Amino acid sequence: MRLRLTDRQVGVLFMLPFLVALLLFLVWPIAEAVRLSFVRYNPLRPEVQPFVGLDNYRFVLEDPLFWESFHQALIWTGWSTFFQAVIGVGLALLLHQPLRGINAFRGLLLFPYIVPTVVIALNWRWLFNSEIGIVNHLLLQAGIIAEPVAWLSTPDMAMASAILLNVWKYTPFVVIVVLARLQTIPTELYDAAKVDGAGALRRFRDITLPQLAEVLAVVVVFRTIWTFNKFEEIFLLTRGGPGTSTYNLALYAYDQSIANLRMGVGAAAGVLMLLVLLVASFLYIRLTGFGREDRAA
Amino acid sequence: MATLISRRTALGSTLAVTALSAPSIAQTRDRVARVWGEPGPYVGVFTNGLNEWAQRNAPGLRFEAEQIPWDQVYTKLATDLAARRPPALISVESPIAYQLAAEGLLEPMDEVNRNIRAAERLVAGFTVDDFGTWKGTQYAVPLHHQGCLLVVQSDAVQEAGLSDPATWTWQDLLNGARAIQQKRPGTAGYTMALGRNLCGDYHVQQFIWAAGGLTWDPARNFETVFNSPATIEAYEFIKELYATMPRSAVEFSFLQVVDQHVAGRTGMSAYWGRTMGRAADEAQPIFRNMEYYLNPRHPGTGQSWSWTDINGWIMPRRNNAFIRESKEAIAHVMNSPEWMARYTNSLFPNVGPVFKDTASDAAVQRHPMYEAKRRSVELIFSGYVPKACNSGHELKRGINPLGGIGHGRNVWSQVAQRILVNNEAPRAAVEWGHRQFEDIRRENRRLIE
Repeated sequence: MRLRLTDRQVGVLFMLPFLVALLLFLVWPIAEAVRLSFVRYNPLRPEVQPFVGLDNYRFVLEDPLFWESFHQALIWTGWSTFFQAVIGVGLALLLHQPLRGINAFRGLLLFPYIVPTVVIALNWRWLFNSEIGIVNHLLLQAGIIAEPVAWLSTPDMAMASAILLNVWKYTPFVVIVVLARLQTIPTELYDAAKVDGAGALRRFRDITLPQLAEVLAVVVVFRTIWTFNKFEEIFLLTRGGPGTSTYNLALYAYDQSIANLRMGVGAAAGVLMLLVLLVASFLYIRLTGFGREDRAA
Repeated sequence: MATLISRRTALGSTLAVTALSAPSIAQTRDRVARVWGEPGPYVGVFTNGLNEWAQRNAPGLRFEAEQIPWDQVYTKLATDLAARRPPALISVESPIAYQLAAEGLLEPMDEVNRNIRAAERLVAGFTVDDFGTWKGTQYAVPLHHQGCLLVVQSDAVQEAGLSDPATWTWQDLLNGARAIQQKRPGTAGYTMALGRNLCGDYHVQQFIWAAGGLTWDPARNFETVFNSPATIEAYEFIKELYATMPRSAVEFSFLQVVDQHVAGRTGMSAYWGRTMGRAADEAQPIFRNMEYYLNPRHPGTGQSWSWTDINGWIMPRRNNAFIRESKEAIAHVMNSPEWMARYTNSLFPNVGPVFKDTASDAAVQRHPMYEAKRRSVELIFSGYVPKACNSGHELKRGINPLGGIGHGRNVWSQVAQRILVNNEAPRAAVEWGHRQFEDIRRENRRLIE
């Protein structure tokens, strides 16, 4: 007997591996994090997990370090995303020019995005080492600075250096997405604007920017979520220091879970991060009117 | 005649052959016992010794070294315990050994210590209990020791017209660091780690102990006593000393202190034997002028202490399939003078020998660094031992399982950072630290009851 499947059943069959992966690697870990946030769990004693109600959330919300980390996470995420968007759009416009060898530049631009974060962060630590780092050495040689800059040793400079690393590494992502969109904008629009006497700035403001609006909305949401959750760059570059000046929520959750062996508190911090991002993304999408045109159509 | 095999038959036959051969494949495959040690060649050298035993006595068993920085042991152990696949053996500093022993996670090692006659062979000043004994049971086998000392460039001291560093008090250290800084512009007088990390914790604690301060008092049921005048005095002194250090010392950990010294950017530093080894490999002029001294004494108490990595082998108790073999293999290596000398020589002079016979072994004393720097090496290997203690055995007043947890949170170095980075008053920062330590004590009361 031959088994005959309807188109709908075949569709479900094709989706099955994805659904299983989704359940296994996304839904289950989130559900487990939520469960952990309501128990006291020391990973060295995994068999003892008493239910503690909202105690872990109370602990997190009453901890000054959580709010300090939250404030720093906003600074870190806000400036990183802002610079990535601005520099990313600028670079994409440059790479959109029909110049010889432009493809080589496009390829090279991906370099920071491809190199593993651990390699970049450790290299940056060397480059920005205030005593024996090449950056200070070159700046001193060129007479730009009179004494070494403490790149990672003062709170403001450490945060700036961390943001710089994040911008350097992830701007290529913005470039790729924006460039792809730029290449689909009909050239007729620009031709017509030129005929009407619109200058380069006007064409950018009235044609390019509106055409990029939707893609930028998506890029900003993604970059905000990914940067807000970023752990490894700050952990490897500054470990949240000096002091706790570059501590963000991801580091807070990690330290609570692993260094302090309070897995429940770490999970509660993670769940709060998830809620913050959900609310912020929802508001942002509403404010930018993303998808409104599609619905109107 | 051609035989046609259907796809179903082919698949079925393959499955059957695989299933039937699985037991024999499993039997011939090596059993791997994982061995954790700190980064560096020494864990590899010891593991070679364990494998020598395995080849003779347990065919099919292989010990495999995995390098884990000490501050990653928590992460690694927690995940591996949860996955029910702990390592067979861990080389670890005593504070974490005490903590894991008090948690009930370790296998008793008294039998191994008897087999290797550890108590009789130990270098004067150490006892087996220092390495990881809890409530009378020995959970660690002595492996090596590393004491943090004052590393000095003799030429810098001479240029600045300073006295013999062996006689120094805190004030002499401060004056000396200032004098070196003046004589050698652009060079730090003294360097220590002040980053929020383990190295920062260790360096800070030495000063606290010299002033007579403690974190928890074992004699008073581990009461938190961090906010004493002695602790505040130590942090005030570190603040003064910071003026003679590189500004970036507030982000320094182990590696940066060594880099600073070996690159000739400091006249003195606080470190373990590794600075000498690195200088010998990479900077001979620095090596030639390098000497080690006991840490300067506190002018009031007259005390000087070294934060010491009192390092032993510990063995997770649960889900560890290699307990018997590992114990026998450890005894094999530790009863072999050749292996122990090889182990000591593997990262000279960082791996201080725990046994007298190893320290006096000709193979160790013939090492070129031993011959070139006999006074310093003997201080590193044995001379400082009476001054050796750590956060799990503060001032040698009693074993304390809370020290490792304090390091997990880097409370000692965080206090220093609050003073140096956030400009908080030392008294207020110490009070903050006191509250953190009190939290640790309260949350982990079960370990000390």
